Amino acid sequence: METGTKISAIAHVGLIGWALFGGTFRSEPLPMAVQDVSVISAEQFATMTAQREAPEVPTDPVELQQPVEPDEIDTPEPTSEDPPEPEPVAQPEPEPEPEVEPETVEISPEPELIEQPPTLEEPEPEMAALPTPPGPEAEPSPADKIAPEQIAPPPPEAKPDDIETPPVSLDEGAETQQEQQDQTAPEEAAPEIVTEAEEVVDPAPRTSPRPRVRPNRPAPTPEPEVAETPEPAPTEPAQNEQAINDALAEALGNGTEPSGPPLTSGEKDAMRVAVSRCWNVGSLSTDALETVVVVGFSLSRDGKVVGGSLQLLDSTGGSAASAKQAYEAARRAILRCGAKGYDLPADKYDQWQDIEITFNPERMRIK
Amino acid sequence: MMKLLTSLLVGLTLLSTSAYAQSGPLRLEIDEGIIEPMPFAVPSFVPDGPAAAQYAQDISRVIVSDLTGTGLFREISSDAFISRVSSFDAPVQFADWKAINAQALVTGAVNVSGKRLTVRFRVWDVFSGQELGNGLQFAGTTDGWRRMAHKVADQVYSRITGEGAYFDSRVAFVSESGPKDQRRKRLAIMDYDGANVQYLTDSAAIVLAPRFSPTGDRLLYTSYETGQPRIYVLDIGRVKRQELNTQEGTMSFSPRFSPDGRSIVYSLTQGGNTDLWKMDLASGQSVRLTNTPAIETAPSYAPDGSQIVFESDRSGTPQLYIMPANGGEATRISFGQGRYGTPVWSPRGDLIAFTKQNKGRFHIGVMRTDGSEERLLTASFLDEGPTWSPNGRVIMFTRETQGASGRSTLYSVDISGRNLRPVRTPDGGSDPSWGPLQN
Amino acid sequence: MKLLSKVAAVGALTLIAACSNNDPSALGGGGGAGGSLAPGSPSDPRSPAYFQQTVGDRILFSVDQSTLTPQAQTILQGQADWLLANPDFVANIEGHADEQGTREYNLALGARRANAAREYLISRGVAGNRLTTVSYGKERPIEICSTEECYSKNRRAVTVLTGSTLG
Repeated sequence: METGTKISAIAHVGLIGWALFGGTFRSEPLPMAVQDVSVISAEQFATMTAQREAPEVPTDPVELQQPVEPDEIDTPEPTSEDPPEPEPVAQPEPEPEPEVEPETVEISPEPELIEQPPTLEEPEPEMAALPTPPGPEAEPSPADKIAPEQIAPPPPEAKPDDIETPPVSLDEGAETQQEQQDQTAPEEAAPEIVTEAEEVVDPAPRTSPRPRVRPNRPAPTPEPEVAETPEPAPTEPAQNEQAINDALAEALGNGTEPSGPPLTSGEKDAMRVAVSRCWNVGSLSTDALETVVVVGFSLSRDGKVVGGSLQLLDSTGGSAASAKQAYEAARRAILRCGAKGYDLPADKYDQWQDIEITFNPERMRIK
Repeated sequence: MMKLLTSLLVGLTLLSTSAYAQSGPLRLEIDEGIIEPMPFAVPSFVPDGPAAAQYAQDISRVIVSDLTGTGLFREISSDAFISRVSSFDAPVQFADWKAINAQALVTGAVNVSGKRLTVRFRVWDVFSGQELGNGLQFAGTTDGWRRMAHKVADQVYSRITGEGAYFDSRVAFVSESGPKDQRRKRLAIMDYDGANVQYLTDSAAIVLAPRFSPTGDRLLYTSYETGQPRIYVLDIGRVKRQELNTQEGTMSFSPRFSPDGRSIVYSLTQGGNTDLWKMDLASGQSVRLTNTPAIETAPSYAPDGSQIVFESDRSGTPQLYIMPANGGEATRISFGQGRYGTPVWSPRGDLIAFTKQNKGRFHIGVMRTDGSEERLLTASFLDEGPTWSPNGRVIMFTRETQGASGRSTLYSVDISGRNLRPVRTPDGGSDPSWGPLQN
Repeated sequence: MKLLSKVAAVGALTLIAACSNNDPSALGGGGGAGGSLAPGSPSDPRSPAYFQQTVGDRILFSVDQSTLTPQAQTILQGQADWLLANPDFVANIEGHADEQGTREYNLALGARRANAAREYLISRGVAGNRLTTVSYGKERPIEICSTEECYSKNRRAVTVLTGSTLG
C-alpha cells in the first residue's frame, strides 16, 4: 500500500474513532431527572387537598389506595347511608349555639389514608344576616353557618374488578355525542391507568435509548442527519446502504430491530393530529393555558401506550399546579386517542417507539 | 480490497454519524387541540329522609347550573345514566360512567334535621377511576341551601379546572324599569346567578354604579337624592346608608373602595372640572390625587393597593392611565383606535378590563396592565361597565339595546371571550359590581 | 288707623312696583306686541314660560364637546339679559350628554357643559351666586331614539329657573 493510502487510512480511522467515541461522551443526557416533577410528598398532597381553593389533581394515587387483590372486593354495605367513617366526625359536630363560630373537624386518618388529618383553615365568621329590604318586615333571616368538614375517603374500590367487568358496549351509550373518538374503549384505558400508578412509584429510569440508525435519505446521497456535529466523509450510494444497515445493526447489537426508512412528515403529522384530536383544553385554568408541557411515553408495537411509560418531562410557564393540570390534559389526550393503538408504520417501529410531545397551548388561549 | 476497505470506511462512517445522531425519541409539537366542555354527571344527591328530598334535588340542580353556566362543563342528563346512585358510600361503578362518556362525577348526600342542613359530596375523575380530592361536608341552616350548593360547585370547579372559586358570591347592581326617558333606578343585590334579589333603595332618586367593599359588607354608590350626585356608603347587613362628606357645591361620584377597605377614591367636580380625590373613611379627610383641566374618573385600585387605573381625556379623548395610589405621574396604557373607559383591575392583578368605543360600536375588552395584549371580548350597540368575578375569570357588564324600547341587561362572558350569556334579573339591570367570595 | 293702612297700601304698591320690571331691555327678541300681558303667560316677558319658549332655556352641543357654538352664545346672551332684567330668579343649569358614552364620563361631560353655560352667563354680568349647576350625564334624555337626530337634542345644557327670591 502506498504511503498516501496508509496515512489516509490512519487518518480516517482516527477521525472515525474520535467521532465514535468522542460522540459517546457528548451524547444527549437521558431524560430521567424529570421524575421529580410528577412525584409529590404525602405531606404536600395533604396540604394541597386540605386547601379549598384551586386544589390540585392528585397524580399520586398511591396515597389514596392500597394495592388491591383482584379477589378482594371491598365494598361497604351498600344500603347503609350512614357510613361508619364519618361517625368519628360526629363528635365535634354539635357546634356552639351562636352559630357564629366556625367548625374545625379533625378526623382520625383511615388506615389506608396516608395523609395527615387536614387542619382546615378557619372559615371566617359566617356572613351577616341577609339584608332585609326596607319595609315593614324587620325580622332578620337566621345566619347561615357553613363549615367544611372533611369526611373519610371511600374504601378502596377493587379497581381490577372495574376493569375486568365486561365493558358495557359504549357506542350506544345514551350519550349521544361522542366527540372524542376513542370514548368507545374505556376498558382499555384502565389497565394503563393501573400500571400508570406504578409508574410513579417506580424510580427506575426509562430504558436508555439505543443509538439508532438515522439513515435519513433513502437514496443517492445518504447524508447523516442533524444530531450534533458535522459528518465525516460523504457516504456511498444507496446500493450499499442495505448492507451497511445490516452491518450497522449488528454493530449496534440490535440485530432484530428493523428501522426502515425514516418516518415521513406525513406520518409524523398523522400522529400529531391523532393526539391533538383528544387534547381538550376547554376546562383548563387560564394559568394552565400558559403552561407548556413536554410529555414522554413509549408505545408497544401495536401502537398502544406502554403502561407506566407516560410521564411529564418538562414544563415552562405557569406554576407547579398549572403544570400538573396541563400534564393531566396531555395525558388524557395521549391515552384516549391511543386506546386502540396509534396508527404508525410497523416497519419503522424503532423510530416511534419512544415519543416526546410538547403541548403548547398558546394558540388555544384566546378566541 | 479497495472496495472492501471503502465499504468498511463507509460503514464506520455511518456508524460514527449514527452515534452522533443518537436519535432520541420521536419529537412532536402540538399547538392545536380542541375546546370542549367537559361532560360531567351529577346524580341527584341522596336525601336522608323525606325532609331532605326537595333540598337534595334543588342542591343538585344548582350545582349543575353553576358548572354548566361556566361554559366549561356539559351536563349529561340523568336519563342517560346507567347506574343509579342510591347510597353515598356505595362504590362507584366507573365503567357505567365511562360508558356514557362522563369525565367527572359528583356524588352527594343531604341530611336535614329541623333547620339544620348538611351536605356531603365527593368528586370523581372517571377517566382514571379515582376520587378527585377528598370528600367534604358543609353544614348550615336550611335557608342557606343555595349557598351550600354553590360551595359544593366551587369545590368541583376548582378541583377540575384549577381555577379559583366564584360561585358563592353576590352581585350588586342597579335594577331599572320604565321607558328610557323616565327610568326608575334602584339599588339591588343578588346571588351571582340571579337568585335572591333584594332591593336596597327605592326608586325615588337616581342611583348609579354601586361598588362592593373588599369584604362584601358595604356598598359605595352615587345617588341624586339631595338633587346633586353624591356618594354614599351603605351597610348591607343593616341596610343603613350614610352620605360621605364632600365639599359643598360640587358633584361627587364614581367612588371605589381601596383593597384594605379603609379609604375610597372618587371623582369630584368643581367648576365644571372633574378630578380624582381620595378619602380616608375613618377621618373623612380627602386629598386630591389629580389636578388637570381634563376629566378624570372611573378609578380602580390594583389588588395590592399600590396603583390606580383611571379614565382621563387629557389627551383629547378618554383613555386609560395608571398612577401611584397616592397620586403622581400617570402613564397612559391604552393606545388602540377609539375611546377607552371604565377600567377595572382584575382581582388576580394580571389584567385590566375596560369599555371601548370605536366606530359607533361598544366593546368590553381586557388588556395587560402595561396596555399590551389588548383583546376585545364583546361587541354591540352599547356594552359598558365590566366587573370581575372573584377568581378573575369571568366578566359581568351592562348591555343596552338601541332605540326607544331599548333596555339594559346584565351579561357575563368568560375571559376567553366564550360563553357570553345574559344574567336574568327581575327587571332591567345595569352597573353590576361583583362582590368577593363569601365565607 | 287710616294712616297705617295708607302706609301699608303705599308700601304694598312700592313692593309690587319693585317686583315688576319696567325695563324695556327685558323685551328680548320677538316682542310682546300682542298686548295681553297676562302675568305668567308665555307672552309675559317676565315669566319663566317666556324664558323657556322665547328666550330659549337650552343650548346644544356637538358630540363630546362642551364648547359653545355661536347659536348657543346667542341664546345664552338672551338668557343673561333676561336674568339681569329679572333679578329675583335664580337658575340651576343642568348638563346632559347623549347615550354614546360610558356612564361616569358622561356625568363629567354634562358637568362641563353646564359649567360652560354658567361661565358665559357670568361673563355677561349675571351674578355667580344666582347660578348653580348639576349634571345628569346620560340619565335624563329627552329624546329616546338612537339616532343622531335624537342624540343632538340630548346633548344640552338647560337653564332651569327656580324660585323667586326677594332682594
